[in-house]
Amino acid sequence: MDLQIRIDPPRGDSQRVALAGRLDTHSYDELDRRLAPVLASDIRSLVLDLGGLEYISSAGVRSVFKARKALAARGGKVVVANPQPQIAKVFDIVKAVPMNEVFASVAEADAYLDAMQQKVLRGEDDD
Amino acid sequence: MHLRIAIPNRRERLRELADTIDAALLAHGIDRVLRDDVRLIAEEVAGNSVGHGYPEDCSGEVVVEIDRRPGALALEFRDDGRPFDPLSAPAPALDGDIDARPIGGLGLHLVRELAHSLSYAREEPYNVLRVTLRDPAHGR
Repeated sequence: MDLQIRIDPPRGDSQRVALAGRLDTHSYDELDRRLAPVLASDIRSLVLDLGGLEYISSAGVRSVFKARKALAARGGKVVVANPQPQIAKVFDIVKAVPMNEVFASVAEADAYLDAMQQKVLRGEDDD
Repeated sequence: MHLRIAIPNRRERLRELADTIDAALLAHGIDRVLRDDVRLIAEEVAGNSVGHGYPEDCSGEVVVEIDRRPGALALEFRDDGRPFDPLSAPAPALDGDIDARPIGGLGLHLVRELAHSLSYAREEPYNVLRVTLRDPAHGR
């Protein structure tokens, strides 16, 4: 299956992008192209829902890195939800995403981001 | 089981290579985890050959052979590009701040981590990379 990309409407300053299929040599540039306007907008967090993603290779990992770098450059975050076993294995080998930014579900990722946001609003930013 | 597939050194043919290998392994009852490891190794190794191994507009061929042996899958990648030992490539720096890390070098690192054993030889005019993967489901 080729890559399918679903970009949900922004929820506050957070945006969710769901991926399904394969993120590899043949599909990473499509993801980069579709993510470019999202990363250029003023969102502070991006939740990558990988529940439907079946396979990732180094080309796909580089796309995730690029997204992380783009948001990190202005203090934002990319978190990953629901990686399937092959994706989790590859992420683990190349340390693609810190373990505390990988979540078992989108709901957990959202809760984490909400908690971060609350901390910022209360002035408890611990960075 | 013995599988041999050859593709021209074109990036757009890598999907065909991976899909053909995957279908053959599936037909032999090889499980998803091992098939995905083979797909990834094939994409990274063959992708490296077609992407970096040839001078511009130089045509060539990448050949992959797979043999199923007791307890193992043996993969052999053969290309007629410039001499390149993928085992000599430095490991990427994976420690420290992820967002400050350079982005390259991940493909060969994945291959090295997933393989049970790896060996490279230049057998003129070919680069030959042999990779074995454990196949515990296939009895000795």
